[in-house]
Order: sequence, then C-alpha cells, then structure tokens
Amino acid sequence: MGDALACQLRVIGALLLRELNTRFGRDNLGYLWLFVEPALLGGALGTLHYFIAHAMPGGLNPFEFWVIAYIPFYLLRGVINRAPFGIPSNQSLLYHRNVTILDILLARNLLEGAAVLGALVVFLVFFGIAFGHWPTDPFKMLFGMVLMLLLSHGVSLLVSAGAVYTELFERLVHLVTYLSMPLLGAFWMVFWLPYDAQRLALWIPSVHIFKLIRDGHFGGAVPTTYDIGYVCAWIAGTNLLGMAAIRRARRDLVL
Amino acid sequence: MIRLHGLHKAYKTHLGPRPVLRGIDATFRPGEKVGILGRNGAGKTTLLRLIAGVEYPTSGKVERQMSVSWPLGFAGAMHYSITGADNARFIARIYGKPIQETVDFVEDFSELGEYYRLPVRTYSSGMIMRLGFALSLAVDFECYLVDEVIAVGDSRFGERCRKALAERQERSTLLLVSHQAETVRAFCTTAAVLNDGRLTRYDDLDQAIAVYQTV
Repeated sequence: MGDALACQLRVIGALLLRELNTRFGRDNLGYLWLFVEPALLGGALGTLHYFIAHAMPGGLNPFEFWVIAYIPFYLLRGVINRAPFGIPSNQSLLYHRNVTILDILLARNLLEGAAVLGALVVFLVFFGIAFGHWPTDPFKMLFGMVLMLLLSHGVSLLVSAGAVYTELFERLVHLVTYLSMPLLGAFWMVFWLPYDAQRLALWIPSVHIFKLIRDGHFGGAVPTTYDIGYVCAWIAGTNLLGMAAIRRARRDLVL
Repeated sequence: MIRLHGLHKAYKTHLGPRPVLRGIDATFRPGEKVGILGRNGAGKTTLLRLIAGVEYPTSGKVERQMSVSWPLGFAGAMHYSITGADNARFIARIYGKPIQETVDFVEDFSELGEYYRLPVRTYSSGMIMRLGFALSLAVDFECYLVDEVIAVGDSRFGERCRKALAERQERSTLLLVSHQAETVRAFCTTAAVLNDGRLTRYDDLDQAIAVYQTV
C-alpha cells in the first residue's frame, strides 16, 4: 500500500515535470508563461471593466471584482476545455503499466491549478500595493481555489472518459463552457438577483465557490453566504463517478 | 512467470466486433526465450499488448509474477515532443532508477549522437526503435516483450541488442513476436505459432517453424 502510493507520487511528479517541459519548453520566457497567460487575460478583462467603470454594488473596485471573478473561472474553463485532449496527447505514456489515466489528468490539472494560483497571488499583491486593499482572509481564497480545482478535476475526469468513446466531447466542450459562462456565478452576485432566481442560482455548485473567494477578498463589504458541504458533495460525486468512468475507459482504450 | 488464462480480445469496428484472439492459455517461465510466429494480422501485436498490460483483454486474465517490459516496437512508451534525454529522465523517474546513470546509459547504448538532445519527433523510425530499446534495458526488466523490432534495425544495432539480451540470459525472459522464422531462430530457443486467434507452443524450434510454414 505504502509502496503503491510512493510509486503513484513518483509518477505524478515525473508527469508534472514532463508536462512543464512540453507545454512551456525551456526557451524564452518558458515557465513564466505558466502564470503570465492567465494573468494577462485576467488583467485585460479587469482593466476593460475598470475603464467602462460601471458602479459596483457595495462600492467594490470593478478591477478587483472582475479579476477575482475571472481567475477562478479561467481555472475551471481551462481544466475542462483541455480535458478531451488529456488522454490522446499522453497515451503513448500508458505503455508504462504504472502510469494511469488518473495520474496523467492529476498532473495536468495540478499544474493548471498552480499556474492560476500563481497569477492570483500576483494580482493580490498588486491590489495591496496599488489600491491598499489586502484580502480580508487569504485562506478562504486559497480554500476556494482548491475547491474550484477539485470540482473542475472531477468534471474533467468525466469529460476525458467520454472523449475515449466519442468525438462529441472534443467538439462541444468549448461551446458548453462558453455558454455556461453566465450561469457559473463568476460575474454576478446572488444578492443582485430576485428572490426566486437566487434560490435557483444556489443549486449551481460553482456559485458557492465564487462567493467563498469573494468573501475571502472583500470580507463583509458584500453579503456572501455559501454552503461548503454542498460543494463538497458535488466534488465527491463528480470525482467518484469520474474515477469509475476513466477506469472503464481504460479497459476499452485502444492504443 | 507469466500465465495467460483464456485470453479473448475483440476490437470494435464499423462492421461490428472483430475477434482477434479466441482463447489463449500459456505459461512463460523465467529465462525462456520464446518466439511467437504469426502471419500479418494474426494478432501478434495485440497479444504482446495484453501481456504488457497496455490494453485489456475482452475476457480472460494475464498473471504476471515478474516485471514485464512495455512492448518494444515502433510506437509508444515515449513522448515525442521532448528530447531522448528527457525521455530517459522521465523513465528513470517513473521506474525509480537513478537519473544520471539512466541518462548516460541510454545515451551510450542508443548511439543517437546529437539527436539525443533533440525532440524525438525529429528521429527516424530506426532511431526511435534504438531509443526505445535502450530505455527498456535501462529499466532492467525480468521479461522483455519484443515486436519484431530488432530484426528491422540495422545489423550492427541488432547485434548489440542480441548481446545485451544474451547477457541477461539467466534472469531475463524474452517473448519475441515475428512473421519471420529466421528472426525467431536467431533469438529464441522455443517457439509458438499464433494462428486463427489461438496459440500453440512447441518445445522444438524446428517443429514450430515447420508448422508455421504450412499455415
């Protein structure tokens, strides 16, 4: 049991290093792109909204609001959009019996999580220096990012497994993540909605995560209530189903 | 020891499931050098993949009581967008081998020269085969699964492979699939014939080759 875990960790470590090399190379900015990419996107969106400058409820800084919303969303979208390609782009590595699909996807998603977290930290430091606003509770933000990664990971397992059987996932994943953008709770707050819509919105697990992250950043400036237990149930559900699905897909996979 | 219990494998196609292996039972003991002879499309590569655990049987079971290599052939096992040296590092990490030693060993054995520091996708198929074989020797398996590859390589490298495998004579098992009787004769001491989805073993090499020539 201990040996198996050690082997698993060794494999994931090796995959992480390899993924770093293949995604970012060793030239030019190299690894720096890891978090420059999400940071640029988040920054551009934040700046855009800063200059459009519509007043935010609760007097929040729009730049901060949009960056804090966009970066966790970028994590979710990045992990799920890349999921259909996780197995095909690494399947030659499945020739090694101790490399599993779960290892491959874990390594990819951990790297994505670390990159996006890096970008978030850069922004939080920038907000602190530029606006004099430091996060009320950085651990809540970190916790929120971890929950977001776990939820995205669970969904990505299902998408990766589905992609073994049909091209549909590969073709439709971008469309679905794009269309679901307004539903996920990144760019609005529940208390903006009418009461009935609020009740519906709270069925969406990511809504709670965005609220947790916002709570960590803005504290009591805006009303935020969330149900961590509900999010954890979703994480457990998607991950368990996802692991069962990739286990089945591995048996049917033709290399 | 490797035991195959009632292995069946069918692939899904547009025309419905195509059975490739229809019930294979066999035992391979430590130190045996077995040639598996089969015509094109007989299911040789499929059989190696099942033994290696790269693919799974539709029914039946593979029991491995020794460390078994990946199937050595033209495909798989390495990543094409990173260099040969990075592949060696990767293999060393996942199999828990000393990294620098592995990198040096593979560089020496594969004789890739400058290409060792270039992405694998720039390699010729012969170079990929050399890298793959060197990587597997670096891991030091108890059983090697070889997919005709050595016979196709240039003769000097083929000779080195033969030597490397011979040095491991005592401890290493070799399963070599081929459609050429000469290749099997050069590397193996016993043989089996894979025909019509079934495997028949012969203790006598010549007998196996004689049977193979009639199918």
